[in-house]
Amino acid sequence: MPRKEITLSRTHRTALIGCLVGLCTVAIAPLFLDTYFTNILIRTLLLAAVVMTVDILWGYTGILTFGQSAFFGIGAYACGLVFTHYGFGPGWALGGLALALGSAAVVAAGTGWLAFFHGSSPIYASIITLALPIVLTQVIYSGGSYTGSSSGLSGFPTYFWSLEVWFWIAGCFLVLTTTAGWLLVRSDFGRVLIAIRENEDRSAYLGIPVSRIKTMLMVAAAMVASVAGFAYAAFSNVVAPELAGFQLGTELLIWTALGGRATLLGPVFAAIGIDTMSSWLSGAMPFFWKLLTGIAFVGVIVALPRGLAPLISGLWNRLRPQRNAIDFEASVVKAPGTRMLQGSFGDAPPLRIVGLSRRYGSLEVLRDVNLIGKGTELLGIIGPNGAGKTTLMRCISDGKERTTGTLYINNVEIAHSSPQQVVGLGVGRSFQNTNLFETLTVSECLKLARYRIDGASLFSRSDTVALPQPSLDILQATGLDKKLSEETKNLSHGMKRGLELAMVLATEPSVLLLDEPTAGLTRPERMAIGSVLTKLTRDFGLCIVLIEHDLDFVRAISDRVVVLHQGAILMEGTVEEVVASDLVKAVYAGHKEDESA
Amino acid sequence: MGSVIFDILTTAGILFVVASGLMIILGVMKLLNFAHGAFLTAGGYAAYLTGAAGISPWFSVPLAGIVGIVFGLLVERTIIRPLYNRPLDAILATWGLGIVISQIFALTFGRGVQFAPSPLSGTIEVLGIEYSAYRLAVSAIAVLLAIALIALLSLTRFGLNARAVIVNENLARGLGIDSTRVRAITFGLGAGLACAAGALITPLLSVDPNMGLPWLVNSFMLVLISGVSFPSLLLASLVLGGTQVLISTFISPILGGMTIVVLAAMILRLNPKGFSRA
Amino acid sequence: MSDAILTLSDITSGYGSAAVVRDVSLDIKQGEILAVLGKNGMGKSTLLKTIMGFVSPFGGQVILRDKDVTQTPPHMMARSGVAHIPQENTLFPDLSVEDNLRLGVNSDRLFRQRLPTIESLFPRILERMKQRAGTLSGGEQKMLLMCRGLISHPRLMLIDEITEGLQPAMVDRMAEVLVKARDDLGISVLLVEQHLDFALSIANRFMILKLGEIVDQGVVDSQVTSDQLSAHLAV
Repeated sequence: MPRKEITLSRTHRTALIGCLVGLCTVAIAPLFLDTYFTNILIRTLLLAAVVMTVDILWGYTGILTFGQSAFFGIGAYACGLVFTHYGFGPGWALGGLALALGSAAVVAAGTGWLAFFHGSSPIYASIITLALPIVLTQVIYSGGSYTGSSSGLSGFPTYFWSLEVWFWIAGCFLVLTTTAGWLLVRSDFGRVLIAIRENEDRSAYLGIPVSRIKTMLMVAAAMVASVAGFAYAAFSNVVAPELAGFQLGTELLIWTALGGRATLLGPVFAAIGIDTMSSWLSGAMPFFWKLLTGIAFVGVIVALPRGLAPLISGLWNRLRPQRNAIDFEASVVKAPGTRMLQGSFGDAPPLRIVGLSRRYGSLEVLRDVNLIGKGTELLGIIGPNGAGKTTLMRCISDGKERTTGTLYINNVEIAHSSPQQVVGLGVGRSFQNTNLFETLTVSECLKLARYRIDGASLFSRSDTVALPQPSLDILQATGLDKKLSEETKNLSHGMKRGLELAMVLATEPSVLLLDEPTAGLTRPERMAIGSVLTKLTRDFGLCIVLIEHDLDFVRAISDRVVVLHQGAILMEGTVEEVVASDLVKAVYAGHKEDESA
Repeated sequence: MGSVIFDILTTAGILFVVASGLMIILGVMKLLNFAHGAFLTAGGYAAYLTGAAGISPWFSVPLAGIVGIVFGLLVERTIIRPLYNRPLDAILATWGLGIVISQIFALTFGRGVQFAPSPLSGTIEVLGIEYSAYRLAVSAIAVLLAIALIALLSLTRFGLNARAVIVNENLARGLGIDSTRVRAITFGLGAGLACAAGALITPLLSVDPNMGLPWLVNSFMLVLISGVSFPSLLLASLVLGGTQVLISTFISPILGGMTIVVLAAMILRLNPKGFSRA
Repeated sequence: MSDAILTLSDITSGYGSAAVVRDVSLDIKQGEILAVLGKNGMGKSTLLKTIMGFVSPFGGQVILRDKDVTQTPPHMMARSGVAHIPQENTLFPDLSVEDNLRLGVNSDRLFRQRLPTIESLFPRILERMKQRAGTLSGGEQKMLLMCRGLISHPRLMLIDEITEGLQPAMVDRMAEVLVKARDDLGISVLLVEQHLDFALSIANRFMILKLGEIVDQGVVDSQVTSDQLSAHLAV
């Protein structure tokens, strides 16, 4: 346990040192800068904080946003409008700031509702963020003398503090928000964000509320941006529609890309460097400078997708190779009293499907499927390709998939629940392809699977994962418990399969859906997985639904087999009964008689 | 009242012409081309240069189309092809390209507004209403273009190959279709269409280095809402463009300016398939 | 110089880190039907996709008429006379039957020239030229697939479970067509199948693929009966 404290404080210590160095730099910088540069840098530092939020949204979470400028603009206009039309003073300033935060949060929540829902495409979400500043600019234009229309508002009363004071405000704001951002992306919650970027669907099927997290993140980022905008308006004494415009929004993206997405400090320094340079150079050669950044941007996207920061940090690491050791050793412990251990022996069946069908247009992939999965039962689903096996899994794990029919998990009707809600009801689903989160380590993947139950701390990182017994068993059986700090892309195929299963079990399901869990495994690996599955049903009362082609494998572990054919249940029985059946033989061999005839 | 109906029809025509180049690229390449606005601008300058050189304004549209195709092929080879597996990066790269193009125009022609001569001036009387002759001509061209594009896709060998790539690229490759080549030609065609559209609408407006931008987002919305189908695009242009005209005329032009974006976003939120089944 | 149309040597292939096919070697001569038998999930489709260039092998070589074509892109394989008839997503369901057939050849002139030969094999397809392919019955869709493969005048056909879900009469018809293609047109066929009676009725040789490896092979003659092999292939 003492190790935990050491590692916790190491991340926080680095953050603290970085923060203090940053604050000192900010404190003494005005002594070395002339008025011109101080002036430019105040704006730049505020924008750098906005760029930092863009990096968290895009670089870490994968939300390509063109609209972060809108929130900067909202903050600026909140300041301009309050000071122009309502009053000026400490109370009004605080009220204006509250207004800035509130309206940015509301607009961000609305944008999130529009852009993020289960099944929305990333391109659609990007277009929504692109539309936001455009619509907002139109609104400002339509405000007449209230918003100042295209010329904006200026000359309103404000605090005419000295440049140094404004510089300190802007600098401290940047340093503090960036420190918080730095801790956030390194925390357990930061791993959740990366998981969403790498594989959104998979995250949803682990019970992570993807859309809600994205929206919350958008709201938080919007609030930071609006404070920056508020400060900028109070400092410059001018607000104009350009502050909310999408030109600025895309510039924020460009700086992020050039600095290096998902490096946090890279975009911050890129923003400071490029914005200062462009203010300085654009006087001399305005269009040429923008042309150069445009060319650099395209070049970086095509040739250096990770931006310039990795080049610099690579150099840094070469100079100090001894720091390359793993930061901390991860460990797993047993989770206390889980639902899984209570089991569902003899209770109502965990899985009940009544009259389920699924149509794609005129094509009927499943029709009138009725099925009951009891606790302690391993139910094998077999059938030729295209029989609808995977579609059946999809219908059980996503309430929006089926066309008609009712589905009960532990006696709760799933209605139109999204995948992460279905996970909450007790369904765990593993996928046919091992699509894990490549850059995360084994223990981080397991922690993701525990997000729904244990949550994730926002600003710190723990090195232990509490797992239910079956997950621990699998880790041990596959040797993964020795590789907890390994990135998943370095695992063997068998280990990936094992981790996949351990992750699904970590969500503490009572119904486990497995789509060809042994595909591509060697015979000993298959047998190891097989005995784990048998143990799960026997000792933990799980209901396992298994799609499998290898009938020897099914025979060894399964109690009951359901044969699907052309979307309907052809037959049910023990493996022996099914194998002996002429009907089934005919279907597999291709002598299919139309059974409805 | 009558002129509002003409406004609706001609606005729909213009929107269709402007968005069609974007749609063909999205359909075949699954790529949202953010340089589309810059291609429109390039077409606008092509029209301006044609006029300045004393060539008949009727030639500006085909000339712009040819320039666009050549340029599009070049861009596809150098920038788009390496990013085929990174769709969001491809969006960013085309956006960067758009910036580069508009800065080159700003450096060459300055920030100011330029005008291109119109091949048809004045108004003509249709059904008792005096209406801009060129706007009507643009709508007629839009209808012809829609027919030509539908014919290209449904009657020619290239169209057949392109449709095969749209539906199932792997199956198409297995049948001997060089999907890389189909994509390159598509991008060239899309860029050509965008330039031609820019040249076509410039006599109605004017051209400046950022001329294409306002059209970009509206085109995105129309294309996202239509799926990959020219008849749906025509319908979407008519419905959304029509609403825009009505709101601009009877409520406020500024609200009208956001109609397409807001309406399309709401429709897509409620039904992610949009008009594509229509 | 060998007389093999296609030679595979030690092909190991799969997806990501999973090897689905391990060390498979085989060769097919001109005018020969080789049946690769095995249950679902044993790597048969992956083998065909590897030959066709859809999947890059981890190791080994694909040789087409003495030329190393390992990792050649699929459209180049198709153009060098290999017709792949996959098992799933095989047709363009929203295109007409005619368009689906046109996609089998790369020019409309050749398409019109070759249409009569197809008509002689499958007269019923011609009656449905304007219909959407997705509205054909399962059997007709398989016929269309065969037509599309044959109209390209291939030297080699890679056929993935063409009999799945077919009525017995259709299976017999399919067997007839394949024998005709082999004997009259000299086409070589790599036939991936689970339907033993069908495969053994037309194949010259057979191989059995189990968990990605070849576990048995031989010449099809009166000695080999489906009962003998069915042990490997039990449901």
